[in-house]
Amino acid sequence: EERQYRSASGTPIALRRRQHSASCRELAVRCPRLQPRYRLPPGRGGLDQSSVFAWLVLQNSMVLSAAIFITLVGLIIYLHFVKVDQESLLVIGSLGIKATSSYASGKESTTFIEMGQVKDVVINEAIHMQKVIYYLCILLQDPADPQGISEVVPLFQSSKPRLDCLKELYRSCQEILEQGRT
Amino acid sequence: MVENSPAPLPERAIYGFALFLGSWFGFILYLIWAYIPETWLFSLGLTYWPQKYWAVALPTYLLVAIGIGYILLFGVNMMSTAPLNSTHTITDNYAKKQQQKIHQEEAIPALRDIPISEVNRMFFLPEK
Repeated sequence: EERQYRSASGTPIALRRRQHSASCRELAVRCPRLQPRYRLPPGRGGLDQSSVFAWLVLQNSMVLSAAIFITLVGLIIYLHFVKVDQESLLVIGSLGIKATSSYASGKESTTFIEMGQVKDVVINEAIHMQKVIYYLCILLQDPADPQGISEVVPLFQSSKPRLDCLKELYRSCQEILEQGRT
Repeated sequence: MVENSPAPLPERAIYGFALFLGSWFGFILYLIWAYIPETWLFSLGLTYWPQKYWAVALPTYLLVAIGIGYILLFGVNMMSTAPLNSTHTITDNYAKKQQQKIHQEEAIPALRDIPISEVNRMFFLPEK
């Protein structure tokens, strides 16, 4: 089933939960589409300084072709390395947790953490760019100290869901993790 | 403690007055140095004073430094904020080394840092 939520910056995201078996669950967050950040004011007819300048600059076809080429290359780089389409989490009890990010160009990057290293999956709050955000993270066990935390792996970094979505994710993960503890 | 109170005292009044006179003297000296032409100063015998360029340059340096200081402070703050993947967002040295105090009946429990897993369970898992 799929439900609509909002990300930290207000864009709509969708959470899809699938239960493959009693101890295996997949949680996928689909990131927002490219939203136009601003709209040109309608009815901007006629000439003014910026449009005349742009026309004069682009008269030279070298500049135009260079601008087109750079835009294309930049767009491809953005789609391949920056724009995340979907982030998903596959929790298999007593085996491990796999986090994958699929980019808009089709590239998928995954990280797998085995269950022996996972201490807990928690919702943490931290300061991020003049905001305080909640984010889901995996706490990794310190092999030397059973109570200690060696590393923090933040999840869903590109979609940044809000607290209501994070609570659903947290509860789903905890149900699987509790089976492993008992 | 009596010595550290901010109340007015006779010594403090004297220091204040001396600073007041000193700052006025410094200001008048700065105005003389900046405005009186060099030839007049030379004729008085004061030949080894710094160039008048500095009478304009030093205040400018000071104001630009203050303006950059605001930006710098903002930047240093952002740089020293822990990133999202660091353990400093969860615990720190003092919390790791804290000792468990013995629980006494009917007493207020001692203050301690609660681990994040417990806090999460309390907040987000509804207890039936």
